[in-house]
Amino acid sequence: MNRRHTWKWLLTAASLAVGLALIASACGSSGNKTNTSGSGGTTSGGTASGGKTFANFRLAYDTGIDYLDPGLSYTVEGWGIMWNVYLPLIGYKHASGPDGATLVPYLAKDLPKVSTDAKTYTFTLRSGLKYSDGAAIKASDFAATIERDFKVDSPGVGFFGNIVGADTFGKTKTGHISGITTDDATGVITIKLNTPQGDFLNILATEFAALLPASTPAKDQSTTPAPSSGPYMIKSYAPNKKAIVVRNPNFDAAQFDGNVPSGNPDMMTIDIIGDDTVALQRVISGQDDYDFHQLPPDRLASTQQKYGDQIKVYTPANTYYFFMNNRVAPFDNVKVRQAVNYAINREALVRIYGGLAQPTENVLPPTYPSYKKLNMYPYDLAKAKQLIQASGQAGASVVVWNHDRGTDPKATAYLTDVLNSIGLKAKEKVINSAVYWTTVGNQATKAQIGFADWFQDYPHPLDWFDVLLNGDRITDTHNNNYANFDDKAVNAKIAALKKEPTLTDSVNADWASVDKMVDEQAPWAAFMNRQFTDFFNADMDLSCYVNHVLYQFDYSSICHK
Amino acid sequence: MAHQATETEFTLDTAAELAAAEHGRETIRGRSPWYLAWRRLRRNYVAFGFLFVFVLVLVACALAPVYASHVAHTGPSTNHVLEQVKVNGKLTPVVTAGGYIEKKTGKPCVVSGTGCILLSAIPIGPTWFSGGGRFVLGADSNGRDIAVRLLYGGRNSLIVGIGSTAICVFFAVLLALVSGYFGGWVDFVITRFFDLFYAFPVVLLGIALGSALAINGFHHFGVNIESGSIWIPTLVISYVLIPYVGRPLRGQVLSLREKEFVEAAISQGASPLRVMFSELLPNITSSVLVFFTLIIANNIVLEAALSFLGAGVQPPTPSWGTLISDGQTLIVTRPWLALAPGIAIVLTVLSLNVFGDGLRAALDPRAKVKIEH
Repeated sequence: MNRRHTWKWLLTAASLAVGLALIASACGSSGNKTNTSGSGGTTSGGTASGGKTFANFRLAYDTGIDYLDPGLSYTVEGWGIMWNVYLPLIGYKHASGPDGATLVPYLAKDLPKVSTDAKTYTFTLRSGLKYSDGAAIKASDFAATIERDFKVDSPGVGFFGNIVGADTFGKTKTGHISGITTDDATGVITIKLNTPQGDFLNILATEFAALLPASTPAKDQSTTPAPSSGPYMIKSYAPNKKAIVVRNPNFDAAQFDGNVPSGNPDMMTIDIIGDDTVALQRVISGQDDYDFHQLPPDRLASTQQKYGDQIKVYTPANTYYFFMNNRVAPFDNVKVRQAVNYAINREALVRIYGGLAQPTENVLPPTYPSYKKLNMYPYDLAKAKQLIQASGQAGASVVVWNHDRGTDPKATAYLTDVLNSIGLKAKEKVINSAVYWTTVGNQATKAQIGFADWFQDYPHPLDWFDVLLNGDRITDTHNNNYANFDDKAVNAKIAALKKEPTLTDSVNADWASVDKMVDEQAPWAAFMNRQFTDFFNADMDLSCYVNHVLYQFDYSSICHK
Repeated sequence: MAHQATETEFTLDTAAELAAAEHGRETIRGRSPWYLAWRRLRRNYVAFGFLFVFVLVLVACALAPVYASHVAHTGPSTNHVLEQVKVNGKLTPVVTAGGYIEKKTGKPCVVSGTGCILLSAIPIGPTWFSGGGRFVLGADSNGRDIAVRLLYGGRNSLIVGIGSTAICVFFAVLLALVSGYFGGWVDFVITRFFDLFYAFPVVLLGIALGSALAINGFHHFGVNIESGSIWIPTLVISYVLIPYVGRPLRGQVLSLREKEFVEAAISQGASPLRVMFSELLPNITSSVLVFFTLIIANNIVLEAALSFLGAGVQPPTPSWGTLISDGQTLIVTRPWLALAPGIAIVLTVLSLNVFGDGLRAALDPRAKVKIEH
């Protein structure tokens, strides 16, 4: 209670300070400028909000928040909130379009110095930074954060496996990761890698590397939010009900050279709504300002007709797919996996999703330079049946897994029907979305086949193949390789391409060949790249709208009319 | 006990017979309570009318496979997303193509643009009798025939409703007899068990148990029930409602336990089992029957509620509850998806309640049998 009262005072003081800063910047005295995106979008870059602050931004969110702990969360919903709360050493520009993929220093003074052998990264922390509780942000917090990831069994630990000593620490969880050295006095952080890694900077920009105080307990902090380093802090979170995000009283955008904007809303009230139609109605009626949910397929036309100016349609880099567990029968048989790929009609699945999608069988989304359209499995039910017969798995029992959120259960209803039609004996298992990924990512579950989707953590093919399909990164829990796909040739190719520092044309061509290699083994039945809608209340000014390449709609950017 | 043909019997239904006797028109014959109840029931045309409605629903649902294969030519879980069906001789898509489309070219738009419009993907509405028996009540987003799913869903809802009632009443009667007959610490333990369940709201307890079992099923005490099995909602519903039937019956048994005929049976050396099942049980049968009909209706509603909330029948198995849940996403453009199972539930529950009420009036007009949550 006392701490809250203190925060009120700090908030008041911080608001005044921010207000003064805004006036100063509006007068042109600040060197921080608003960035503009190259894609026609607007940005909220810069330290000031240009006088567009407002009291409360109310979001009708869905039930997809897994955690609000940066070490544990691995959903778009979780990261969408946290990227303005917990800052890594480096991060992405707050900008629409391709410009948003640019890495800029956040808590670090500059982008790191990389050694000539590309195995050592050296950062220096900005000075004078504080967490929302007033404690100083220290270089040693970085090492503690990565070690905490291992201790809490974070789904992101696989990203850090190349740091010297990380493997040993992962097994013992005692001592420290020898490859990370820090100096609190100078703010210098040095990270040593076993081998060069092309996407390591992107990895350091993920929420898993967002700094938390070293004293943060090594257990889920979702409902007792850890102190924040970004412009906002999580005031409270009641799972499946509500989250409240307020300004961080100790955040000073001027310290970040315009890379981290202070944001426009003073507060964000995140109402967790389970139903798409209810969420839409709440925004139409003014109970909420923004609808995170997809517009219900049957309401697209009518909503467009009445509120066309309040809708934004965008296509983030994503792939929807059915994983098939290569370790469990009948999907340990490649013929069965290929049969499923032949049996699903991707156009039908697109239509089930209301048409807001493009069919695909690639792992990579079409926005990637490495993308080369694959058409190995055109819809052919007869061939699928033949393959099932040839595999000797006809009549095998199959449980199709899915969560209970949005339109996704309809996809597995379709898949179940398809599997039954080709000679398998399928039934569905639909569980709560809050526990779905943890459940299917646990080897003990032995999930045979199920729904999955992937939205990039960073714009690099490694985020797809290394995270989702590298057999060397399979874990017992929080496993992202739901298919348990472990192909030596693919693993070797990923390992080789991982060392490439940049994505040249030839490297992109190599990644395209990996896509093909994977498709031949069919661990997935990828089916579409989905389009999304953002819907706003009439009071919101969409000229401020920023749609980020990774985090999608940047809540901090929005402003009132 | 056999009745003498000349003996006048005074029952609640003999006023007319007495009047007739006074006028010396006919000899008054003794009737069994069951005969009298039947005579009272058959005069209740409203109850009979609703019984007919219930039987109609029952028969329709039982014939679901026949309708599916011979009329609709599809199964309850068969998807027809990309198919077209002839309605009044015109080919109509089962689910229309929606999406973000360029107005001029009709090609998909990838990003927001002024020349792009959003189109809804809407499943076909009721074709009634113009679709050759296909999609009589329309289709859902997966292109599944709603009429077929309604009948199959009804089958499942009725199986859960009747099955859970049978299990619930069986255990409730057993516990009531044991508790009421033995009294003492046996009665104390059983009554506390009832109290424990009374402490939880039925729906919340049902959701908790249903959700827990929906993930991993039940694999204890040598019993293996898979997570998607229809047995799970059946057992969950029967389990949570046992006290609601058992407690009032226990009260009746307690009262009957003090009657002379029970004491007489005991004094003649009748075993507890014989007393319970030969003396006490026949005397509570009328209440049990009334409970049975009312509880079926109650359980059908409870199943619908649990399935709607995802804790009952698991998809893609249809039930009226899951159909309402599926239909709510299309409530604006295709209200029939949710209305049809809703109407089916109302009809079934209303028919069972009215018939149950008639049965109660016939069996024991003084009895106050009702289910309270």
